[in-house]
Amino acid sequence: MSAVVDFPSKPEARPYLDAFRRPAGEPDWLLQARERSLARFAELGFPNRRGEAWRYLDLGALAERPILPSAAGRVLARRPGAALVAERSFAPAEWRLVLVDGHFAPELSAVESLPTGVWFGSTKAAVAERPGLVREVLEKPHGSEPEAADAARAFSILNTAFFTNGFVLDVAPGVALDRPIEILHLTAADAGAAYHTRSLVSLAAGARAELVETFAGAGRYWRNDVVIVRLGEGAELARTVLVDEAEEAVHFGETAGCLEMASHLADFVLVLGGGTVRREHSIETVGARTHSSLNGAYLVSGRNQANIVTTIDHRAPGGETRELVKGVAAGRGHGAFQGRITVRPGAQQVDAHQMSRNLLLGRRAVVDTKPELEIFADDVKCSHGAAVGDLDTAALFYLESRGIPRDEARRLLIEAFLREAVELLQSPALRDHLMARLGRRLAELEE
Amino acid sequence: MLEIHNLHARLADGREILKGIDLTVAPGEVHAIMGPNGSGKSTLAAVLAGREGYEVTAGSVAYLGRDLLAMPADERAREGLFLAFQYPVEIPGVNNMYFLRAALNAQRRHRGEPELDAGQFLRAVRAKLKQLDIGEDLLQRAVNVGFSGGEKKRNEVFQMAMLEPRLAILDETDSGLDIDALKVVARGVNAARAPTRAIVMITHYQRLLNYVEPDRVHVLQGGRIVQSGDKSLAQELERRGYGPAGEAA
Repeated sequence: MSAVVDFPSKPEARPYLDAFRRPAGEPDWLLQARERSLARFAELGFPNRRGEAWRYLDLGALAERPILPSAAGRVLARRPGAALVAERSFAPAEWRLVLVDGHFAPELSAVESLPTGVWFGSTKAAVAERPGLVREVLEKPHGSEPEAADAARAFSILNTAFFTNGFVLDVAPGVALDRPIEILHLTAADAGAAYHTRSLVSLAAGARAELVETFAGAGRYWRNDVVIVRLGEGAELARTVLVDEAEEAVHFGETAGCLEMASHLADFVLVLGGGTVRREHSIETVGARTHSSLNGAYLVSGRNQANIVTTIDHRAPGGETRELVKGVAAGRGHGAFQGRITVRPGAQQVDAHQMSRNLLLGRRAVVDTKPELEIFADDVKCSHGAAVGDLDTAALFYLESRGIPRDEARRLLIEAFLREAVELLQSPALRDHLMARLGRRLAELEE
Repeated sequence: MLEIHNLHARLADGREILKGIDLTVAPGEVHAIMGPNGSGKSTLAAVLAGREGYEVTAGSVAYLGRDLLAMPADERAREGLFLAFQYPVEIPGVNNMYFLRAALNAQRRHRGEPELDAGQFLRAVRAKLKQLDIGEDLLQRAVNVGFSGGEKKRNEVFQMAMLEPRLAILDETDSGLDIDALKVVARGVNAARAPTRAIVMITHYQRLLNYVEPDRVHVLQGGRIVQSGDKSLAQELERRGYGPAGEAA
């Protein structure tokens, strides 16, 4: 790609520059956004561990053995079938969009018969049919030009250059979806590649929706997913994300959210699988009296690493934030939670609580936890806390004294520990779905 | 069934608590071990159940002809030893019913019996609850979480009824109970009496023995059994108290 090599570029960015191909049939504005973003990524390179935002994640393996996007238009050798979709899906979902290796799989999806006022489909379809809706968030996922992005945003900039598809959910004012919408991200190819996906959830004033997103796959691949969430006045979004990626997979999932007055975001993430996982939320509350809950749980073992990073920026008064993140690190696993709550000047009467609780199992496991409050208003109610501990030996003995073998007793207690977070979910069916997945994961846990 | 010979045990800090216990319990018998606070009653129960933090420095314990002390706690339980805790542990997030089914099925697997499915288990549970006059709501809650003192002890007795142990050790199961709860506990112990089962009740007071008649009564004092007798010994102790160590002998 001779057009973009005439500027300084970091060595780790070089393979990505070489891999770039202009997707056919895209509008000029999108091609320009992709090229500008690629150029910016080349300048930035990978995020640096010396910076705060990425300090707990080891990207050495990804830098050494790059995982590149596969050639555009490649025919998939082996499509996952309906059986895999059935195994992975959350049954009560009526509408479903399946992405395989970052490409929309219409034969596995159900995106029709939505209520009037709801547009639901692939990002590619939205580019063609609803450019006015998606253009800005595709060009500028964080509301700024790619040139202005800092190093911590390098991978979402890369996402702009390479995203193949994604989903768009746009709900008109006052329309409520009474059934959950499911997004399944699966993989098909044996030779893993990078799957960049970009999505948008836009709920207009008073709209309501529930989303369940699942990430699963096989082999060594890199999932780089960026979702933009925009909630209008009084809108409500309940979103649950299950990250159950393959052992060798790299998974970055970023959510950039903007909350208007009295809107309500209930976001939950459960990380059960993936070699290197980072879930990041950047939420801005621009209207008064918003409510956001960012809860989650992770379980790392083997040599896996998982980071949950949240930033909530209260720019308006009266906002309420609740965060509970529970982590379990076993084996040589490394888990980290970084949470920042900012309260801007004038954002009075913000009520924000953040808690990170962790179980550290074994001498080789590592947990880092870093809750942070940055408060520039004087009439607020904010608190944060963190705890790291081992399993309760009295509880363990009690279970053993009833004949439950030690391994099973430990699994029971780990499950109970994580259950506290899962039980924050409103939907009993969804709680059961996640607990069943967690149970499977625990059955194969090696401490 | 249980043969304890010259058992010595100490805490991790080196303090010796048990100083030569000798005790033989045969199938079908109910024994009461009484004694003042600090005499070593609960330590004896903990050592028999396999709790960590105690070191056996001398002596032996044979259970059904096997070396009990060589078995880990969970194996002792699967071999039919049950300890009713003085202070039952609260376990948030673990449903009481789920916990008990896991325990029962672990024991059944060990004996080569088929596991009970949820329906079979529920039927067995209901039958026992009725027999012991315990409410079903206890089962839907997390293990011992938010239970009153009486509820915790009832839960212990209920677990004993479900697990049908060969040797049950009740560690001060009667302490802190009002008269109704005490009766529930006594009913559970009496219902558990069987020719193939032995029961050892550790207690500070004679009160429980008004409802459960022991075959043998032992006085534990200063880490040793200083006196043994039939049920009349309990009444005698109630009258004259334990006295200083050694005096009762």
